[in-house]
Amino acid sequence: METSFALTGKGYVIVAADTTAARSIVKMKDDQDKIKELGSHLLMAYSGEPGDTIQFAEYVERNIRLYQIRNLYPLRPSAAASWIRRSLAESLRSRNAYTVNLLIGGYDLADHKPTLYWIDYLGTVVEVPFAAHGYGSYFALSLLDRWAIALTRGRPRRHTDILLRYHNPEATLEEGLATLKRCINEVSKRLIVSPDRYKVKVVDKDGVREVEL
Amino acid sequence: MVGKDCVAIASDLRLGTQALGISSNFQRVPVSHFSRVCPSLTICQVFPITDRLYVGLPGLGTDVTTLYERFRYRVNMYTIKEEREIHPETFTHMVSSTLYEHRFGPYFIEPVVAGLSKLPTGGLKPFIAAMDLIGCINFAKDFVVAGTASSKLYGVAEGLWEPDLEPEDLFETISQTLLNAVDRDAFSGWGAVVHVITKDRVISRTLKARMD
Amino acid sequence: MYTTDSIIYRSDYDILSRRSPIPEYVPSHLLYPTTQSTTILFIVEYAMEAISHAGTVLGVLAKDGVVLVAEKRVTGKLLDLSSAKEGGGGYGGSGEKMFLINSNVIGGVAGITSDANSLVNYARSVAQRYLLQYNQDIPVEQLAQRLCDMKQGYTQYGGLRPFGVSILYAGYDPHYRFQLYHSDPSGNYSGWKATCIGANNGTAQSLLKQEYKDDMGIDEAIKLVLKVMSRTMDSTTLGSEKLEIAVLTYDEAAKKPKAKIYKPIEIDGLLLMHEMSKKTEEAMKS
Repeated sequence: METSFALTGKGYVIVAADTTAARSIVKMKDDQDKIKELGSHLLMAYSGEPGDTIQFAEYVERNIRLYQIRNLYPLRPSAAASWIRRSLAESLRSRNAYTVNLLIGGYDLADHKPTLYWIDYLGTVVEVPFAAHGYGSYFALSLLDRWAIALTRGRPRRHTDILLRYHNPEATLEEGLATLKRCINEVSKRLIVSPDRYKVKVVDKDGVREVEL
Repeated sequence: MVGKDCVAIASDLRLGTQALGISSNFQRVPVSHFSRVCPSLTICQVFPITDRLYVGLPGLGTDVTTLYERFRYRVNMYTIKEEREIHPETFTHMVSSTLYEHRFGPYFIEPVVAGLSKLPTGGLKPFIAAMDLIGCINFAKDFVVAGTASSKLYGVAEGLWEPDLEPEDLFETISQTLLNAVDRDAFSGWGAVVHVITKDRVISRTLKARMD
Repeated sequence: MYTTDSIIYRSDYDILSRRSPIPEYVPSHLLYPTTQSTTILFIVEYAMEAISHAGTVLGVLAKDGVVLVAEKRVTGKLLDLSSAKEGGGGYGGSGEKMFLINSNVIGGVAGITSDANSLVNYARSVAQRYLLQYNQDIPVEQLAQRLCDMKQGYTQYGGLRPFGVSILYAGYDPHYRFQLYHSDPSGNYSGWKATCIGANNGTAQSLLKQEYKDDMGIDEAIKLVLKVMSRTMDSTTLGSEKLEIAVLTYDEAAKKPKAKIYKPIEIDGLLLMHEMSKKTEEAMKS
């Protein structure tokens, strides 16, 4: 089943999504790219109702591009996330709502920060250090909480410290990719309908690029 | 909650999809964050409207953001045209009418307003109010609650609150009320934020809470 | 069919400039918007001509801020200024010609006041709508563009008159930092280091051209602006009853732009500081 992950590290955001296109129980394709490059420094992983996803992703892509053509500079990641959220929130109360869940990863050239937004089909948006959508999220989110504790190399002193200590925003890209691999392995191990291939993209100060795991 | 020449407003910080927690710090607004949780995707956030006025928006996550943005729009236009800050009473009616505009397809939010209102004499009077999701206002003299833990909040608040609390005592009362109610509710918690609004300043504190 | 329009039209400009901007020898059919597209262009020209008789507004861009100064024309001892005395209290526009448009933009207007009020309201809505959509302040150039789209629309079709207003926009955004733009009734806009609209703008511009320096700080810019103003205004002495001043800077602590429209008492203080007020001049004479 569809799964996407994203996590931030020192100066970058990694976004990963499975590559399966399925109808019912049949796998139609296993090299589908579900991560759109919305700009030189902006990535969007999308999942949800098959027709809606592509339609909505292209609508977003074209509008973000239009903004850049009109104004010469691109939308900042936070502004793009707000605009996309609003589109979904307006769609939610329309006759035919888009059922699309998104992860927006970007590098803001104005304040030199990597940012990640978790957005669901209702138009809920929240900025997070790591995020996931789909069945994989049930495994990945708890793993990321725990994995990050291991990175602190110390026993959390109190129960309440756990979530405050999870994220290592200073991890290098190699460490970040290793963490991502653990998520993918965990999902493969525990989820009955786990996807077997993922596409992984990274955005940092140099822009977006695809990486091989 | 109302105190002696002060009011307090508090909220938890969880954002979740049903039982799955997504974020323990939904903060996109400077100064304060948000909070209150919920059944199918909810959060509540407490937002500063002016220096002396806060609104908490517990309910569906998407509507928290949408409503906050709409109120910001209307309050900004009000402030810039009137050249003065909006009063808590006026703001409450603005919130109420915005909600009632969607009477037959409502925003799933039950707002809580807390602030100090100016008296004609120049003094300040504590003001709190809560609304249901279609904007029916409840002006209260003691405390108001809303969100997934509201039934538990009523019980604890009923037991702990007393009239004319000083700011520090009010802080303790509202914090204990929220933390204990939220611990009995599966959908709320994951940290909390408290603002005590007094004549001279706003005391904002983030509380640690159980993370389960 | 356009008779009524033409009366309103001409009288508006008469009030503005205190003399008719429309020469008597212009054939009357050229004055009114008709389906002939060329005639409407005259009207835009007249609107711009009319503005060059309106109260002066000038703006100067400094490396750490932008300053706007305006000359107030509506004065008199019977005029009730009690609300203007208070200034904007930091929440809005204070006077006749300076308006806070958004937290990052101040506008200074020259021309027909009623048209300007309507445009300012439109600008504020545009800025708030942008904030609603993108959760960030509108970039200054986009705001100027949106107003120009509106202004241009009124030069395109018959039956309407253009907005008789020029605007200076002093603003800040993270893309180009401090900026100063000018827009005119035709819907053209342009960015400036220093510029002037309204009466005597030619004199002011040549003065600015001489005295402007690229590395000026905001204090120097204020000083320059007051100096130019004192030379271009009809009256010989400067005072808060004739002047409005607004400054846009960046608050490093709060990490956001800070717009300040000076209150009358602060303007007098500023003039005193720069030794340009009535009192000091009188003192010097004696």
